[in-house]
Amino acid sequence: MRKNLFITITALLLVGLMAVPAFAQETVLDFVWFSDGVEGEVLKDIIDDYQEENPDVEFNIIEVPYNELNTKIKTMVAGGNPPDLARVSNPGELSSALLNLNDSIGQDYLDNFVESTHPYVMVDGEMLAVPIDVTANGIIYNKDYFEAAGIDVPDTEEELDDLWTWEEWANALEKVVEESNARYGLAYDYSPHRWSTLLYQAGGSFFSKDWSEVTINSPEGERAVEFFVELHDRNIIPESIWLGGENPNTLFRSGLTAMHFAGNWMLTNYRDNIENFDWGVAYMPKGKIRSSVVGGKFVAGFKDSDNKEAAVDFLKYFSSQKVNAKFCEESLFLSARTDNSKLNYSFGSDMFEIFSNELAVSPPEAGSDWAYNEAMSRIYDDIRQNVVKSIQKEITPKEAVENIEELAESEIEDMEN
Amino acid sequence: MYRWKKKIAPYLFVLPNLIIFGIFIVFPALFGFYVSFTEWDVLTSPEFIGLGNFIKLFQSAEFWTILSRTLIYVFSVVPITFGLSMVLAIILDRNIKAKGFFRAIFYLPTMLSFIVIGVSWRWILGNNFGILNYLLDLAGMAPVNWLTNATTATIMVIFATVWARVGYFMVMFIAGLQGIPGVYYEAAKIDGASKWQQFRHITFPLLKPTSLVVVVLSTIQAFKMFGLIKVMTTGGPGDSTTYLVQEIYQQAFQVGDMGYASAMSVMLFLILGLLTIVQFKVSNRGGNAYE
Repeated sequence: MRKNLFITITALLLVGLMAVPAFAQETVLDFVWFSDGVEGEVLKDIIDDYQEENPDVEFNIIEVPYNELNTKIKTMVAGGNPPDLARVSNPGELSSALLNLNDSIGQDYLDNFVESTHPYVMVDGEMLAVPIDVTANGIIYNKDYFEAAGIDVPDTEEELDDLWTWEEWANALEKVVEESNARYGLAYDYSPHRWSTLLYQAGGSFFSKDWSEVTINSPEGERAVEFFVELHDRNIIPESIWLGGENPNTLFRSGLTAMHFAGNWMLTNYRDNIENFDWGVAYMPKGKIRSSVVGGKFVAGFKDSDNKEAAVDFLKYFSSQKVNAKFCEESLFLSARTDNSKLNYSFGSDMFEIFSNELAVSPPEAGSDWAYNEAMSRIYDDIRQNVVKSIQKEITPKEAVENIEELAESEIEDMEN
Repeated sequence: MYRWKKKIAPYLFVLPNLIIFGIFIVFPALFGFYVSFTEWDVLTSPEFIGLGNFIKLFQSAEFWTILSRTLIYVFSVVPITFGLSMVLAIILDRNIKAKGFFRAIFYLPTMLSFIVIGVSWRWILGNNFGILNYLLDLAGMAPVNWLTNATTATIMVIFATVWARVGYFMVMFIAGLQGIPGVYYEAAKIDGASKWQQFRHITFPLLKPTSLVVVVLSTIQAFKMFGLIKVMTTGGPGDSTTYLVQEIYQQAFQVGDMGYASAMSVMLFLILGLLTIVQFKVSNRGGNAYE
């Protein structure tokens, strides 16, 4: 009996040991990912398709909230266990850990992608990521509330000549609160990136186009802060967002605000979660000029990854025209590929057109500022703090832009040293 | 052989704990101390810069603002927690009805994680979705900006911290009270001492060892309070509830300046060490109350 047991255990161990090399041949790619909407589900479909052709590649999707993305990646890198792939919004912040794709993919590959994405992925002559989709800031509004208030919202190309000015926009938002069930006019994302839309509309910028000069301390910069503070003073924007961290999406979805200043990435979320009212996308008001702000999402590999070859292979697959089209169509994103500029969205094609039109008229600084990612990442929180202090009346709008200028100059000097 | 085994046995028993302590406490602490003398963005190798981070720290007006804000928070939380937990302990040490129920109720928050407590208070105090403002609205009163005004947010953070910890220290005081022999009170009564005199001359002095532990522990906990504030106010509005540990996190993981963050951690360690020594010195003055 005992002998049989011994033989059985030995046989099982031998089978186990023989099985190890078979498993060892499998490549497992750790992929750090964040989702704004349904793109995580779309990614899983794409991975299934990829695995049909590459059955020896497994994926370990590490899903993290966007706020924790960089912390997670940095912790993994510092622990000597970097991921193989990551979806990032600012490759420059992680540049020292990312894989240089110059040889494996080649800079020429970038010709397939819209130009505004190039400065994001090119750091010191090295291509560090592949663009996947671009984002545009914009406004989403509650159609029921504006109809109830009898206010016509500009959301067609025919109305482009008659867009709201800032003052008209603020007045319309005040009126909609008076005439409908909205408690506030506008939910405005707690983000310097979103705030900067007003800066560009005012005719200002953070830096000159060639990044040689800090330009935020200008009458235009001051006006952008001043108008934003005014929107809070008139209770059009609830101060609970910028002062209390309340979620603007929840405020809009629950019908407390008539409008949400966000961007195209919110469309799937609202499509799936808003049932009580009709909503749409509107053209933004104009200050001195019209402007949105371009952003993007990228996928990068890591230089200390054990599976660089497999990671690069998936990067090529994921950013190829057909797969990228599927990803953007099903996730409702604007593609970063020039050959995917016209996609067949199952929902909201008219809304995408508005976002695309807004990007088309944005000044170059709205792209070049945010592409200067090393400097922007250093002053990002200071921009937010100074805008908040202006809302709190601790400092004036003039002092806010002076502070941001001083901090930006000192950080750039620090970078250059 | 037996004597050798007898000698080695105690060390073997504590060895697992020593290994865990060494890996998770001693090594990270020493590494953090080393990092404070370097410039390190986590992604590349640390570069030794000597006292650079400490010089930057002492020259930073922001650091001193945050430090003074932290001291206001700590010196509000500690006395309130100390006083309230002692009062609760004295009340619940008496023979009152449903004593066990009330002890459990006050102790309950200490069993919750700080994250859960922070989220709960955020939901209670939120401007638009908060239960408290909803109740005020039902009562026909104007809503209050609990967490979006710097002063009320600070008060609410102090309140939530005290609420979270008072039960824990109450139990320590109850244990201390139960260790005081009843004969002292009987003798005092015979001598005609009032309730206040009994508290002043018997209870308070004999609770001195417990009081010291409560003050030391609550001071350390208040200085290190992170999760509750992170989820309750995220350090806001603006930076009005950003204390030293929040700033350390911010510098380490948001800004990516691990060396500067470690220098702040070293400062926090020194402050806590100094305060603990002072507390022990003050407590030892006057000798043991039992003598």
